[in-house]
Amino acid sequence: MDTLRDRRTLIMMLIIPILVFPLVMNVFVGVSASYEEEASTKTLKIGVVGDKDSYMSKELNAIPNEVGAKKLVFFKDTVSMLKELEKDSIQLGIFTDKQFNATLKAQLPAPITWYFDATNMGMSERAEQYMAMIQGKAQQERYVELEVDPRKVTPFVVNYKNVASNKKMVGQIAGGILPYIFIAFGFIGCMYPAIDLFTGEKERGTIETLLTTPVKRWQILFGKMMVVILSGLIAASSALLGLFISIELMPIIDNAEIMKIVNEVLSFSFILSMFSLLLPLTIFFAGVMVPIAVYAKTFKEAQSIITPLNIVMVLPAMVGFFPGIELNYMTACIPVVNVVLASKDLISGTLEYQYLLIAFLVMVSLAVGAVIFSYRQFDKETNVVV
Amino acid sequence: MIVVENLIKEFELSRQQRKELNTTDRIARAVDNVSFTCEKGRVFSLLGPNGAGKTTTLRMLSTIFKPTSGKIEIAGIDAIKYSEEARKKIGFLTGSTGLYARLTPLEIIDYFADLYKVPANEREERKKYLFNLLNMNDFLQKRIGKLSTGMKQKVSICRTMIHDPEVVVFDEPTSGLDVITAENIIQLIKDCRDQQKTVIFSSHIMSEVDLLCDDLAIIHKGKLKYKGEMEAFRSQMEAPNLTAEFIRIVQS
Repeated sequence: MDTLRDRRTLIMMLIIPILVFPLVMNVFVGVSASYEEEASTKTLKIGVVGDKDSYMSKELNAIPNEVGAKKLVFFKDTVSMLKELEKDSIQLGIFTDKQFNATLKAQLPAPITWYFDATNMGMSERAEQYMAMIQGKAQQERYVELEVDPRKVTPFVVNYKNVASNKKMVGQIAGGILPYIFIAFGFIGCMYPAIDLFTGEKERGTIETLLTTPVKRWQILFGKMMVVILSGLIAASSALLGLFISIELMPIIDNAEIMKIVNEVLSFSFILSMFSLLLPLTIFFAGVMVPIAVYAKTFKEAQSIITPLNIVMVLPAMVGFFPGIELNYMTACIPVVNVVLASKDLISGTLEYQYLLIAFLVMVSLAVGAVIFSYRQFDKETNVVV
Repeated sequence: MIVVENLIKEFELSRQQRKELNTTDRIARAVDNVSFTCEKGRVFSLLGPNGAGKTTTLRMLSTIFKPTSGKIEIAGIDAIKYSEEARKKIGFLTGSTGLYARLTPLEIIDYFADLYKVPANEREERKKYLFNLLNMNDFLQKRIGKLSTGMKQKVSICRTMIHDPEVVVFDEPTSGLDVITAENIIQLIKDCRDQQKTVIFSSHIMSEVDLLCDDLAIIHKGKLKYKGEMEAFRSQMEAPNLTAEFIRIVQS
């Protein structure tokens, strides 16, 4: 009850996890929408150094504005053009030499140089898009001139087919993000209550009072650890809730089929399976934090030791973002990594249960070890009383 | 009744502690062969300067610390072997009032009544009695963090007494309190004596000791320097007043 009335605990356990995703997604969607709108309405200025009547200039002008509004601005030389490009008065630049048309006519490759500022998002892609359209047309015209059947100069017709189901594809992406969310927020959710319930109570003198009651020391430890673990699980669940809210309420995913898969992924049975892995992991987190909180003399000391642990514990969770790392006999034995990879396989429906069992046993063993170690520290007289 | 025999408490010093204390000894003996008895219906005072070993002794009595060797009996129970049973008989109050700032007095009292497994009907009677005695009814629903020092002290007293302990241990209970607030503690100690409870309190305020105690022991650097009745102490004084006599004994 005391813990739930602590504003900082409530903020770390509930408010931040629930709000962080809707807020971040809201900003992301807003910024993306505003960028897209700006991109669609803004007229792209393309600087040109070359003949106004060159093939390139004519074809560039002929590209319909449905691709994006544009305007050609002609320069005498590249120096002045690049100056304007730097100032962002023009967004792209193109250089063709005086012999451009002649070279083309001679059916030789005519050099074209595109200039763009890579820090200006999307410009190189626009350049490539325009160039692909013009190149395609020029190529067709060349085939006609040479009286060549284009099929004779195309040795392969290539088809790329993805056999992974949409569910598996979603699993590959969500499988990296979801466990990371659970683990990161689970750790953060445990942190503050662990410090407050042990170091904080030691500072405030309430632990000494508790120790004079007819309650066994392990019962006091167990009760406090349960609060720490529950806080971690609530924080992880709140983050998941926040993510769910942002997906359901915000226009992040357009595709109805993908949305259906996402909703299937975030099903009750999936959440239950995730928690079966998260629970021993959260106990392990609590078991790591509690001895530190018991040992530390002040709140600040405990915070300064536990906060950097965040990186050590949560960094392995990023393995879920890397392709090619799979759950096998070896990775099933590495804490945190095993939970992430098992979750990933769970989401994409490719989980092999013997690895899940190994991962679960490893986490349970670590959790038990951590609890025993916590008890040993809590049993030391000099640790519990200032 | 409290019986303490040949009590010894040693602590292992860390490297940092050895450096701070400027010693090469790995072990520090905080309490060195202390023996005394506290009778029912009498107030026993444990006196000593800062760092003498008073708090360590009282923490052993209340089973927070385990003695390195020696015997402690609380209301006839071996407090080392059966610490949980002994704690049921003890009410413990310290100067650093350990209360939960975000709970109300009512919640704290109920919580500790639960911990001491006070039966429901007895609990309501005790609460009513204590709340009236200590004049607490006006602030029972306010959070501890919003209470004055005096109010918090009353809640601590109530918490200490909710299970009607046979033995009451006070560790510098009036430390940091003003005279008016300290009066609550003094009155409590007197009431406990009148109710035939065993009372032990540690202090270095001679006026309180003079006012309250029936028996006393003086401890310095972990060793017992004096033990006996207050009357005998007064009659055997070599110094002009209690404070001077205390200093004389400590420095001897």
